[in-house]
Amino acid sequence: MTLTVFYLLSALSVFSGLMVVLSRKAVHSVLYLVFCFFTIAGHYLMLNAQFLAAVHVIVYAGAIMVLFLFVIMMLNLNLAAEAQKTPWIKISAVILSGLMLLVLVASVKGAEELSAAQPQNDIGLVKNIGNILFDKYLLPFELISLLLLSAMVGAVLMGRKEPQPQNE
Amino acid sequence: MTDLILLKHELLLTALLLIFILMKLGKDISNSSFLKMSNALLLINFIIGFFGNQHGQMFASMFQTNELMALQKNMLNGGLLLISLSSSRWLNNHIHLPEFFMLIVATLLGMFFMISSNNLLVFYLALELATIPLAALCSFDLDKRQSSEAGMKMIMSSAFASGILLMGISLVYGVTGTLAFTEMSSLIASDHLTVFALILLFAGFAFKLSVVPFHLWTADVYEGSPVAVTSYLSVISKGAMVFVFTSVLYQVFKPMQEVMYQLIYIGAVLSMTIGNLFAMRQQNIKRFLAFSSIAQVGFILTGISGFSHTGAASATFFILVYVFSNMAAFAVAGIVSSAIGRETIDDYKGFYRTNPFLSWVLAIALFSLAGIPPTAGFFGKFFLLSAGAAKGNYVLITIAALNMIISLYYYLRIVRAMFMDKNETPIGSVNLSFNERAAIIICIAGILISGIWNGPFHTIHHSVTEAFSITPF
Repeated sequence: MTLTVFYLLSALSVFSGLMVVLSRKAVHSVLYLVFCFFTIAGHYLMLNAQFLAAVHVIVYAGAIMVLFLFVIMMLNLNLAAEAQKTPWIKISAVILSGLMLLVLVASVKGAEELSAAQPQNDIGLVKNIGNILFDKYLLPFELISLLLLSAMVGAVLMGRKEPQPQNE
Repeated sequence: MTDLILLKHELLLTALLLIFILMKLGKDISNSSFLKMSNALLLINFIIGFFGNQHGQMFASMFQTNELMALQKNMLNGGLLLISLSSSRWLNNHIHLPEFFMLIVATLLGMFFMISSNNLLVFYLALELATIPLAALCSFDLDKRQSSEAGMKMIMSSAFASGILLMGISLVYGVTGTLAFTEMSSLIASDHLTVFALILLFAGFAFKLSVVPFHLWTADVYEGSPVAVTSYLSVISKGAMVFVFTSVLYQVFKPMQEVMYQLIYIGAVLSMTIGNLFAMRQQNIKRFLAFSSIAQVGFILTGISGFSHTGAASATFFILVYVFSNMAAFAVAGIVSSAIGRETIDDYKGFYRTNPFLSWVLAIALFSLAGIPPTAGFFGKFFLLSAGAAKGNYVLITIAALNMIISLYYYLRIVRAMFMDKNETPIGSVNLSFNERAAIIICIAGILISGIWNGPFHTIHHSVTEAFSITPF
């Protein structure tokens, strides 16, 4: 049963991931990406990581993709506006990425198999994530807060068109 | 929590960041008084950095520090202070002065955590903290198109580099099953997958260091950004990357020295040669300094390729020299650019007639970058090359020596333009403020003192590196 669900979800996520790249309309790509995120959230659920799945749906599929949609609709992208690439660029891109894939597959194939980690069924629960986040991973957690703060300062700075004199 | 003193540098910078935010939110302060306060705070931060440095680990050994790292952080702190002093003219006229300090302190904090990281997760987060605000800083001349283009290019190329780096990190995690540097080094075996992961990691580093096949963003970003940010990018950001590169390389990838040596060899030769050849053709002084900094990275890589304490120590010493020399050159370029608004090399013709002091400063800085004896640059390069020669690859050293000769040509071209060429409309005479004068004098004193009396500096670096970096090979 679990295995069937796993294969179904995997097939769906690979399919939607491919469609993100292959669709010619940007809005379709975004919708496929939302779908892809939902299937990945399904994978998280199967790993018993409810919290991660919920956050993934709320933040990625919800907030970020809606922003994407807004931006794409505002820009009003269509096929004519797409940047024209010369055939040479396309050919060299295909060759380069094909080589990259070849090297990656070859090197993965030759690697020794690592022993699988012991499955921990309760690792994804909110309580455990909270415990590990504020204990072992405290430093990265605090670093992220600083990163978000400074990114916000930068975004506000660039997003504001006319610097207004402060009123208060 | 008595060991919080280990986090001293980082806590100080976080405090500075919060102070700047509070100052921005509070009453309106005029730019000049804000600048005075922030310079005083940076000076205090720089001075405190020298006291009470200890070594140890924190946060489940995700964070490590020692005297060598403290020394490197102090160098970066000093560099930030110098930038703030030397670009005071531009900063004074900028509407968003507080944001400049918030962002620049945030990036420096990222670099400190990067230097001190002992775990790939912390390293990656710190790298992002050091990069994302920097992109905002690149587009800090909000009304100039070129500046927003620079910010855009910076964020795009660094996102791409981060992608490659993350792929490398995930492969390393897949191979070793750990993210901690200390555990990783014993688990790394040189099979194909690890080599591939290493190449991806190297590519990520090379992007940030602008080593040659990955340098394409450098010139445009340097040209478009405001001069203060350009000098920050080329000196502080690059210096921090060199420190991290050396420690990660020597610590984590010790078992893979041979592969690493090949990568560094190619990177060094290409960076030196291509950086130099392109630097000869540049007309804009910022583009010129961008390519010259690419060439300098090639020399640093030559030194690092020695895989020895001497290599690490020479790289650290060279960064110190480089902070002073490049900062002096950028200070002059920045003062001229913000006072007069001219940035091409032709504009510097006849500069000596109107601004003798500034031309001497620029000349000494360029001598030092080129590596002419009484200046510190000569010793910096000499130590780097002799560290690189320890490996016995004399082809690399010969190429490096030839490149030093090429670089003499284009550095001296500017000196000739300033002192000998005539110009109908030379740059008018510029009055220096106290801050600018102080920054320039510190830089020049640094160049001359660490050149003439370099023994103690090099000994300090050597002994600290010996004691704290990295067990011998």
